[in-house]
Amino acid sequence: MRFDDLVRQHAADLYRYAFWLARDRSRPEDIVQEALLRGWRAYPRLRAQAAAKSWLFSIAHNEYLRAAKADAHWPEDQEVEIADERQTELGLEMREALMALPASYAEPLALQVLGGFSCAEIAAMLGTTEGATMTRLTRARQALRRLIAPVKERRGGRA
Amino acid sequence: MNCLDYRRSLAAGEAETADMKAHRLQCAACAALWREHAEFERELYTGLAVEVPAGFEHRMKSAVVFSRRRFLAAAGVAAAAAGIGAYAWVTRDEPLALACIEFVMKEEAKSIMMGAMPRAEAETALAGTLPLSRIERVGQVKHIGPCPFDGATAYHVVLAVPQGKVTLLVMPEGRLSASQKAEHDGLYASVVALRKGSLGVIGTDRAVVTSVAGALGA
Repeated sequence: MRFDDLVRQHAADLYRYAFWLARDRSRPEDIVQEALLRGWRAYPRLRAQAAAKSWLFSIAHNEYLRAAKADAHWPEDQEVEIADERQTELGLEMREALMALPASYAEPLALQVLGGFSCAEIAAMLGTTEGATMTRLTRARQALRRLIAPVKERRGGRA
Repeated sequence: MNCLDYRRSLAAGEAETADMKAHRLQCAACAALWREHAEFERELYTGLAVEVPAGFEHRMKSAVVFSRRRFLAAAGVAAAAAGIGAYAWVTRDEPLALACIEFVMKEEAKSIMMGAMPRAEAETALAGTLPLSRIERVGQVKHIGPCPFDGATAYHVVLAVPQGKVTLLVMPEGRLSASQKAEHDGLYASVVALRKGSLGVIGTDRAVVTSVAGALGA
């Protein structure tokens, strides 16, 4: 497959993935552009063409870390407290709930739902175990369900 | 598969396997859970799928194309001046070879200033990729040290051969499926596969670069 075809197929999902890494509209485009330029240079050496998609996402992940390290103003890839549903507005939507998730939960979730990667693939990309990845994904969904429960209850009440 | 296994897999968002489906079709409770889960997953996808800015994909393609053209245009001008034979050497799209030239132009001096690595360390580092003893059969090693290259660690070697000096970039990670060549700004690069990893050879004389690459390549 030509590199241009890879860009066409995955650019949008790479942008979304980068958005959930950076949680900021101004950063994802730079992250993806740098990742694609690095990818283009290294592409001739990629032997496992079937893994090209996960390879590109991994480059974007590394590019985010590199950019975050270079810019002290960027938020570190740190754990943040999950907002308690009592602290959130009743009008909380899924995206707001996602914004409240720690990066360690949002990242595998984005890889799974947007990228379509399996737990094993995500574990390999993030350098962790499959079991730990499943745990994070389960907890992420549990947290989201908790956060959007008030909205669902209100909607149910109105119906 | 039992209900517990089914629910664990569902809770982690794993795609439904044939085993899971077989269980769902004969378990009403899990089937109800699956319907609720499917609705949640749709909402989740909608939440994650943030809007991509207009023209984003086009800008990304342009950035890659621009980067490629920037190298090739410069290489083409230099090659045209050198004649048709040289031009044929550079017309393929060979980014890694161009990156090797870029390294020599922008990073080599800095890499040398960072200092050389001890010989014993170099022997160990290169043992599995391109043994130092093999390099020394071709020429005299004037400098050797690790350097960041192409997102990984490579080993930068300055090698004196009878016809002059060449730069080697020994890349232990990744292996080329086909060799690459490039020419830019009076420098020639040839990247060849090793048994493990790849080797970039960069110099000012095309014949010397080709000869060294041939002698050291797999």
